[in-house]
This record gives sequence, structure tokens and C-alpha cells, in this order.
Amino acid sequence: MGSPSKQLVDRPSAELLLRLRTGKAELHTAHANLPLPEKVRLVMELQRIVLPLIARQRQLRPWEKPWEIEP
Amino acid sequence: MSSLADAFKVLNELKAAGVVGDYAVAGAMALVFWTEPVATFDLDVLVTLDPPATGLVSLESIYRWAEQRGYSLQAEHILIEGMPTQIVPSPDALADEAVASAVELDYQGVTVRVVRPEYLIALYLHPHASTAKRRERAAALLDSPRLNRALLDEILKRHGLSL
Repeated sequence: MGSPSKQLVDRPSAELLLRLRTGKAELHTAHANLPLPEKVRLVMELQRIVLPLIARQRQLRPWEKPWEIEP
Repeated sequence: MSSLADAFKVLNELKAAGVVGDYAVAGAMALVFWTEPVATFDLDVLVTLDPPATGLVSLESIYRWAEQRGYSLQAEHILIEGMPTQIVPSPDALADEAVASAVELDYQGVTVRVVRPEYLIALYLHPHASTAKRRERAAALLDSPRLNRALLDEILKRHGLSL
């Protein structure tokens, strides 16, 4: 068995990488251009996603709770 | 249920009542106005005091005002219409400028003053406040088409900051 560097490995083409990067940039732009209340709704969705992750790493601070508001 | 617009209305009342000279939303919520949504749990508000503070700055008048309005305190936050809000007196000339030059934006019919993206970057790059997360946020703002690069360069130069 040869060393990993000598093995033939399929790699994504330059075109595919460009397409992936462009897609990601377009997604960022689309998120940045959302109406503000929609962005706030996403912030509140992110809060519910990240809160359990933060809680696994450290004690939550008193204000670190999902907002109970209308966006 | 309260809304974010209700919290912004209260910030305008804080200014109208003369408790603060002026205010501007800063931190992650300001970032959300200019770029993509990010996870945050509080509303950071930079304020200037009128007349400007000359010695030790006290939040006494702000806490008293909050208490009169029935808003509770949560650690160093005031719970304004359900939003944990941290009111930070402007610590230096850069923050003074950030508040003075804040943009008035509309949020569901309520005017809210928000720190411009160029000043947000400068505040994130300040040596006293710079962390990996803040540098990442500054980088996100650099990609914003709303950024005035010439203004950013001028602010950074004047305050001895660099990207």
C-alpha cells in the first residue's frame, strides 16, 4: 500500500469549488437582504439552536434565554 | 406580548426624557441591521450623557428611570419590554462619534438609532474590546455592500486602528 500522497484521490473540480463558493456567497447576501423582522425571527431561531450548545460548555448567564417577544 | 419595536420605542423615550444625551444600538443587534442574523441574547446600547460625564460615570439615573418604569434588572441588564438590554455609557471619543453619527432606521414604524457599519468595525477592532468573535464580526461587515470603505479607512486612521 502506497503512502496517502501517492494514492489517486478524486478531488472536486475548480468549477465545482467555484460554484460552491458562489452559492455560499449568494446565501449570505440573501440573508443580509432579508427584511429586518425576518432577520430578528432568525436571530430568535438561532438562540434556540445555540443555547443547548453553550449550556454544554459553560453555565448560562442570567440573560441568556430565548427572547419571549414578537419579532 | 412585547415586540422589539416596543423596546426601541422605550430607547427613544429614554432620550426624550433626558436620561441620556443620545443613544445608538451597537453590538450584535446593530450587526443584524447591516449584515446577516447572528446569535445574540441581548441588546447593546451605547449612550452619551448630557452633559458629558467629567468624572466617574454612574448608571444610577438610568437604573432609577428603569425602576420607575417597572423594568427589572437582570445582572447588568435591564429587561426592557422583554429584551435584556445593556446600556453602556460611551467610554471614549470613538464611541462618542459612533453614537453621534448613528443612522436613524425604521423598524416596524419605530425610528431606531443604529451605529453605522464603519464605526461598528472600528469598535470591534479597538484593542480593549477585540476578541476572535468580534474580529469575525468585523470581517462580516467588511463584506457588506453598505460599507463606505473610504469612511472606514478615515475612522481607523484617525483613531490609530488597523484591520
